[in-house]
Amino acid sequence: MHKLSTKKAFVAYFLFGWLLLIVADRVDELRVYQGATIAVTTLAIASIILLTGYSGQVSLGQGAFLAVGAYAAALSQTFWQSPFWFTLLIAILVSAAFGFILAFAAGRMSGPYLAGTTLALAVGLPTLANQFSFLGGETGLVYDAGLPPERFGEEFTLYKWFFWIAAFVVLIAMFLLRNLLNSRFGRTWKALRANSTAASLCGVNVAQSKITAFTISAGVAGLAGALLGMVSIVAPSAFPLSLSFTIITGAILAGVTSLLGSMLGAVILVVIPEIADVIAHQLGDSEKITTNLPGFIVSVLLILTVLFSPNGPAEAMRKRKEQHAKH
Amino acid sequence: MRQLIGTLLIGLTLGSIYSLMALALVLVWRSTRVVNFAQAGQAIVTTYIAYEIVTRTGVFWLAVLFAVVAGALLGAGVEYFLMRTLFRHVDEGPVAALAPVIATLGLLGVIKSIVGMIWGNDFRSFYPPVSTDNFVLFGESIPFSRFNVLVILSTTVVMIIFSFIFQRTDLGLSLRAAAFQPEIARLAGIRVGPIRTIGWVFAGVAGAIAGVLITPNDVLSPASLDVLLVFGFVAAVIGGLESLPGAVLGGVVLGIGVSFVLNYVGTTLIFPTVFVVLLLALIFKPNGLLGAKKVRSA
Repeated sequence: MHKLSTKKAFVAYFLFGWLLLIVADRVDELRVYQGATIAVTTLAIASIILLTGYSGQVSLGQGAFLAVGAYAAALSQTFWQSPFWFTLLIAILVSAAFGFILAFAAGRMSGPYLAGTTLALAVGLPTLANQFSFLGGETGLVYDAGLPPERFGEEFTLYKWFFWIAAFVVLIAMFLLRNLLNSRFGRTWKALRANSTAASLCGVNVAQSKITAFTISAGVAGLAGALLGMVSIVAPSAFPLSLSFTIITGAILAGVTSLLGSMLGAVILVVIPEIADVIAHQLGDSEKITTNLPGFIVSVLLILTVLFSPNGPAEAMRKRKEQHAKH
Repeated sequence: MRQLIGTLLIGLTLGSIYSLMALALVLVWRSTRVVNFAQAGQAIVTTYIAYEIVTRTGVFWLAVLFAVVAGALLGAGVEYFLMRTLFRHVDEGPVAALAPVIATLGLLGVIKSIVGMIWGNDFRSFYPPVSTDNFVLFGESIPFSRFNVLVILSTTVVMIIFSFIFQRTDLGLSLRAAAFQPEIARLAGIRVGPIRTIGWVFAGVAGAIAGVLITPNDVLSPASLDVLLVFGFVAAVIGGLESLPGAVLGGVVLGIGVSFVLNYVGTTLIFPTVFVVLLLALIFKPNGLLGAKKVRSA
């Protein structure tokens, strides 16, 4: 596939960011909030793409790393009164450290061990919040990005401010990730995923590369978690098991091998609850349906995608195109 | 001393249920090379079915029977309709190899949301057939009830039946052969496909019984068996993920460990403990407590 040079990519990211700001100025509050959610979800999906699409490992509990990042950020704000940008840094570092420990134990193992371990983490981690008082129980912790600067004017709402921050951070992170994946690291991971035996014969240290991939992925997820905490709340209810399902669904829908697809996946994920709302309304607005329908749609989509195009719709389309080109 | 005995007995009760879940996961892993995360979903469906029957008729054993049959049918259905289709694609790409595992996760999500749509997400109580009050021994109460006795007895019976089937019948031999070397088993005239389905059926039955036995001491909700799934997985890993006796042993070890933490430390540390146990097992005993040598004899 044709790849942009780093300089051109930078310009593209910059222009895209500019476009986002202009659009965000013209839509209502709900859309801005959804925009912020899309940005955060994009980053969370990117963390899976890095892990599954590039190094061939699977994490079923990415939500746990988001939670670690969010809590680390919120704690550093509560106890150290750290400035906001520093809490984001803390989020990355703490969850990356967490990922490193986990990868050290499970990263060298084959698929099922890692899948199960991460799932165990996603089920168990949120329960900890209720058991240690400094984690704030069900109500969670206070974490905010502060008010928007006054010179933006009275009409500059809090959500617009959140969107600005989220979009800005996510764009930078995605740009760095893109460069990382095009670097030696990215090539090594791709080689690993394609054939780890061949890669190790070429001098790749398989265990070490996998641990690196897992650590970076956890760090990225932690950053996404801190941003999610900013947009919504830092409490166990923000990081249920279904969050992990949702992220992995987004990654699969996006086609786990393309970083750009992650935005597409995020858009789909944010649109699903809206569609579910409409359907639930048609079905008579019973509470049972309203609360469970979004999860149902996401899970069904996940199964259908792995059934009919396991490498993601984007990948399938690309393959078809290539076959066309050959004939 | 009294507390120690109580702790061990509770550990045995919990452990026997974890063992059943671990058995379910190991059976599926051996037959299809997938960790079936939907096992918790299948078990939640059968547990709700049992709940309906218990609340309507009050007959616990009838409920267990229905749960077992439903569990068997669900297991067969998932393998036949979902897994077979998925495995046709496994060679088609790097990510497709992960597809079956991801599909079981998706299935867990689908089942939980359907259960939520039917029964709602609120907690329900599942009434046990016998008392869950503590026994009183020499004027002192020990944290062990008639229901705990029932749990240990029934899991023991299930394990005996399972090991009889696996060690003494032709079906068991085929199951073990198909798990150990599918290609050679096929050459030896074993129809590996149907045998795989039967592996899923047994797993469904084990999971269904585990769900029905753990719920009376707990509450029932669409997500209430997620923790059992995790504990079952950890137990299976302790046992090596390949071996049936290993799964049982892993369950008992984990159950007693959890019970000790419960009684001597408090509920706070249960999950961290289980997680640390999992990591330690992965680092120091990646082949399981019973070791790699035993894998063949499974």
